[in-house]
Amino acid sequence: MRDLTRFSTFRGRQGSRSVSRPSDGSPNQLFSSGAVLVKEYDDGTLVQRSLNGDRAAFEELVVRYQRPVYNAALRLLRDPEEAKDVAQTTFLNVFEHLDDYDPSYKFYSWIYRIAVNESINTLGRRRPVEEISGEEIDHTPGPDRHAESEQTRGAIEGALMQITPELRSVVVLRHLMHLSYEDMAETLALPEKTVKSRLYSARQLLRSILVHEGAI
Amino acid sequence: MIDQELLALINAEIDGELSDRQRAELSRRLLADPASRSVRDEMHRVCQALDGVAPVEAPPQLHSDILAALPQMPVRTSKARWAMPKWRFAAALAGVLLTGTIVFRVMDSQEQAASEMAGTLAAPRAQVEVDVVQLGQGPVSGRVSLIRDGATLDLSLELVASSPVDVMVAGGGHSLRVNGVAGPTKVALPGFAGGSQPLNLSFLMAGHEVARATLSEPAGH
Repeated sequence: MRDLTRFSTFRGRQGSRSVSRPSDGSPNQLFSSGAVLVKEYDDGTLVQRSLNGDRAAFEELVVRYQRPVYNAALRLLRDPEEAKDVAQTTFLNVFEHLDDYDPSYKFYSWIYRIAVNESINTLGRRRPVEEISGEEIDHTPGPDRHAESEQTRGAIEGALMQITPELRSVVVLRHLMHLSYEDMAETLALPEKTVKSRLYSARQLLRSILVHEGAI
Repeated sequence: MIDQELLALINAEIDGELSDRQRAELSRRLLADPASRSVRDEMHRVCQALDGVAPVEAPPQLHSDILAALPQMPVRTSKARWAMPKWRFAAALAGVLLTGTIVFRVMDSQEQAASEMAGTLAAPRAQVEVDVVQLGQGPVSGRVSLIRDGATLDLSLELVASSPVDVMVAGGGHSLRVNGVAGPTKVALPGFAGGSQPLNLSFLMAGHEVARATLSEPAGH
C-alpha cells in the first residue's frame, strides 16, 4: 500500500512535482487496500474540498507541504525551533485565509509566499543580540567537523545568514526548493527580471564570502 | 575584467539559459581572461554546493502540532459566493430589513413572549444520526456514526487507539482519507449521496488495516 506521507516531496526545477498530478482536478494515484480505493487529488481540488468543510482534505495539504515549508523556514532562519513555529503559523494562516486564495495562481506559490514572509517577520522580531553575525559562524574545520561535505554545508549555511533575508529568500527558493524563475516571481510577487537580478547578486555575494573564508 | 555582463553570462550558464550566441561570447571571454575563468569556476562551485544541501525531514510531531493548532470548526465556505457586489448588497439589505422587522415587532408587540419570537426566527437545524457502528476489541475501538445534516452527510469518529488512526472512506464512487484521527472527529462527506449506497470504512494504523466497518443510511431518511 502506498503511503501518502511520501508525497511531500520537493518540486523539480521547472515547478513540476516529483510525483505527477493531473491539473484538471481529476484524481489519480489509485491504490487499493482491501475493497477500498483511495484517490490522490491535486492541490486545487483539495483546496476546494477544504473550503467545503472537508478537514481531511486540508490535512492532506499539510502532509504534502509540511516538509518543504519547514525546510524553507529552516534555511531562512537557521533555527529548528523557529522554523517549526513558522511552519505551524504558515498552515494556520493558510487555513484561516483559504478563501482568499486565488486559484489562478499555483497553490504552492501561495503557501511558500506565506512561509517566506513569516520567516522574514520572525527574523525582524529577533533581538539584535540574537542575530547571527559573521563572527558567530564557525567556518574553521574543527576536530568534530572532519567530513568535507559537512564542512561545506556549514559554510554555505553560514554564508547564507550573512546576506539579507531578501537575497536569501531567492537563493532558498531557487537552489533548495528548486523553483523555476516563473514560480519564484509568483511566490515573491516580484517581476521575473527582479528575481533574476536578486539571485545573481546573491550568488556573487555568496561567492565572495566563501572565497574569502577559503570554503570553496 | 569582471563586469556585470560577464556575471550575467555566467549566471545564465549556471541556469542552462545560454543562447548559442551568448555561449560563444562567454567562451571567448573565458579564453581571453584567466581571472574570468576563476570567477566562473567559483560561481559554479557555489551553486553546486547550494544544490547539494539536502532537505531535512520535518520534526515528527510537526504534523500533529499543526493539526492541533487548527481551529476545530471547518474552513468557511468559499468567499467567491460573496464576491459579487450585488450579493453583498442584497445580503446587507436583507440584514437591515430583518433587523428592522425584529425591532418593530418587539416594540409593537410587547406582550409577545420572547420564546415565540426566537422560535419563529431560528428553527434548529436537524442533525439525525442515521447509523452507528461500535468497533469491538482490537487495536482500535470506539464508536463511528453517520449523521444526516440537511443535504449533507457527516461522519463522526470517536476512536480509542494507542496511536493516531487513518480512516479511509469509500462509497458511491467517492472516497477520501482522514489522516491521524486521535480524538473525537467530525468529517463532512461532500459528494457522498447516502441513501441505499453503503459507506465502507477502513481503519489503518502504521499503514496496516486494523478494522473495517460499513455504514448506511436507512431508506426514508
